[in-house]
Amino acid sequence: MEKRFMKGCEAIAEAAVRGGCRFFAGYPITPQNEIPEYLSKRLPEVGGVFVQGESEVASINMVYGAAATGTRALTSSSGPGISLKAEGISYLASAQLPAVIVNISRGGPGLGSIQPAQSDYLQATKALGHGGFRAMVFAPATLQEAVDLTYNAWEYAERDRGPVLILMDGCLGAIMEEVELPEMKVLNYDNTEDWCLARVGGREDSHMITPILPELALEMLNKFKGMTYKMWEMADVKVEEYMLEDAEYVVVAYGIAARVAKEAINTLREEGFKVGMIRPITLYPFPKASLDNLDYNQVKGIIDIEMTVPAQMRDDIELQVKGRCPVHEYGRSGGILLDDEGVYGAISDIVKGGA
Amino acid sequence: MKKSFVFSGSGGQGIMSAGITLAHTAIDMGKHSTFLPEYGPEQRGGSAKCTVIISDGDIISPLPKKCDTLIAMNEQAYGKFIDDVKEGGTVVVNSSRVKDTDRQDVKTISVPVDDVALELGNVKVANTVLIGVLIGATDIVSKEAVIASLEEKFKEKSPEIMALNIAALEKGIALGKGTV
Amino acid sequence: MPSYKRPGALLPMSTGYCPGCLHGLATRLVADAIEELNQQKNAINVVSVGCSALNLYSWCGDDIGAAHGRAPAVATGIKRCLPDRLVFTYQGDGDLAAIGLAEIMSAANRGENFTVIFANNQTYGMTGGQMAPTTLVGQKSTTTPYGRDPVTTGYPLKMCELISVLEAPVFVARYALNSPKGVMDAKKGIKKAFELQLAGKGFTFVELLTNCPTNWGMSPLATLDYMNTNTVPYFVPGVYKDKEGGKQ
Repeated sequence: MEKRFMKGCEAIAEAAVRGGCRFFAGYPITPQNEIPEYLSKRLPEVGGVFVQGESEVASINMVYGAAATGTRALTSSSGPGISLKAEGISYLASAQLPAVIVNISRGGPGLGSIQPAQSDYLQATKALGHGGFRAMVFAPATLQEAVDLTYNAWEYAERDRGPVLILMDGCLGAIMEEVELPEMKVLNYDNTEDWCLARVGGREDSHMITPILPELALEMLNKFKGMTYKMWEMADVKVEEYMLEDAEYVVVAYGIAARVAKEAINTLREEGFKVGMIRPITLYPFPKASLDNLDYNQVKGIIDIEMTVPAQMRDDIELQVKGRCPVHEYGRSGGILLDDEGVYGAISDIVKGGA
Repeated sequence: MKKSFVFSGSGGQGIMSAGITLAHTAIDMGKHSTFLPEYGPEQRGGSAKCTVIISDGDIISPLPKKCDTLIAMNEQAYGKFIDDVKEGGTVVVNSSRVKDTDRQDVKTISVPVDDVALELGNVKVANTVLIGVLIGATDIVSKEAVIASLEEKFKEKSPEIMALNIAALEKGIALGKGTV
Repeated sequence: MPSYKRPGALLPMSTGYCPGCLHGLATRLVADAIEELNQQKNAINVVSVGCSALNLYSWCGDDIGAAHGRAPAVATGIKRCLPDRLVFTYQGDGDLAAIGLAEIMSAANRGENFTVIFANNQTYGMTGGQMAPTTLVGQKSTTTPYGRDPVTTGYPLKMCELISVLEAPVFVARYALNSPKGVMDAKKGIKKAFELQLAGKGFTFVELLTNCPTNWGMSPLATLDYMNTNTVPYFVPGVYKDKEGGKQ
């Protein structure tokens, strides 16, 4: 294991390379430019390909082409660019091609703000593109977690043959922290997987990768995908449950917001208040059970903390709380960062006010 | 022990560079550290700000509302961030550019780092003087560890540049010590 | 000598094109060139959206469907990862010259080492005959019921002319498939483009002028005459760029 003090964007770019990524296409947009810049230098060192696309649209379609060859492919962007990639991400889903997409999100909607925000939760978890497919969404809170999730993201993408999203905000993209980098994965490309274009010499039979299907086949694919999403809920949920045993108030927060909230929870615990936290690491599949299984005779309130206004995760939370206790929300948006004092104050008001 | 530092000034004053050097040095000394730059649309000449946290334990939130130490390299930065310093905290001001300091509940260390750097021969080492002042006044990291970080940072530059930076660091340390 | 059996690169099935449509002939010319170069197992066909998508199912060999206009981006991803394969896109005029204008110009400008086969029939065939970027001035379509008016819709886009002014492309040519000579020339052009690609020379672009009896509302034979009178004088056939052959 190698330790390095790295910027968020560069850390996930390096983790991608070590996880087997050998193709990147992307288009410049703040605050994720360090990913393409890093990979334009790094990928050629390992025999990989870097292409600066003419647009977000072209870039995701280059990834679609590269993924079809069995190459581990990546693209990255921020909110406005992810909207443009929506078309290509949907095509990846229908053609059942694996790829990883990184969103270093910023204030929205529109061109919004280039400053950090968690403004793309709904886009990430409900509709990354048209047609009603889902992608697994990883939301790391530290750079170490970002490295570990990125490193293994293609295993999920290839297992279930579809796009996987890594959702971070501009703050985690820009921050520098110490990370432990895993070993370079050695991948065997000699054998052509049955889902990709033959790497050497073609095939005897016609092999077709298609984003368009006859009606019955399309319905079968959708039914199969529906079953896959159920499997994710059973097997692939990642969540951190923090001090829930005796918690009377439970904060739900992900990514950078969860770090700020945890600091506030520690302070409140020192003051004697029973506050805990559920931190979804997979935003999809959402950790439904963690919320559903809380003891609502003990829990007096749920507090949704997000760096966006209005809160976007709240619907998913309320579906599990089922009215058993009040759900509160606090956030900042537009590129204004959450901070320790503000988040402590918001949680403290609810906890101490007995709301 | 957990301390937060805000470095502020304008683009080109070496704000980010000073913050990274401090964070890097702390990590080399076995501490935990985060460096968070605030980014703007300007490529040159805009305002520059970064937050560095140094801690013996894990750093949970990297977004403190108030910092222990503010480093203000110009008047505008001082005005913008002086209220974000904790009561009893420390403020290091570049008195070559910041003329009025008004908070009484913080310890203010005024050093004309631009002038000191110019006397040493290059205004670009103002941020190294500043790091010197900071460790002279707070001993947050050791001088030896900063020198090791600077050697790493300037390994591809000429020995003269390294020597100038060491001189700037030592001058800063002396100034930092003298003011406490 | 052209063969009159089905090319090995095509499956023994109907192409799905309307009677008299030159898409079928264009597909066949591509398949012939692949067979003559013994590339059946090495070719990857990047299929686009529109009537051109119909050949997705008839292709014998690897093929992949691309989003509307994005075939050159998809082909870029494939060819960069599999540089030894013969990669080509097969695109219509709406796909290539309207929604995919950025992708085609950028791929050409990067000098991507694949071949673009561009079937220009001056209409959106699959969606029912709307105005295409290549619809001729005065030509009627379902969205230009009084004929294309350049005052509000501009002029038909000349893709060979546009692409030939770029530095990177090595071969840019246009052929009209409404005469036996045009068909013979087109086949040579396609084969030449593939050979240049296999030699690693760079971007090659072959435009094939085709028809649409269904949406033009003419008999197949009448479309050939219409092409002679109207299409060919505007979209002039010829080799627009041949770097290897000394034509810049």
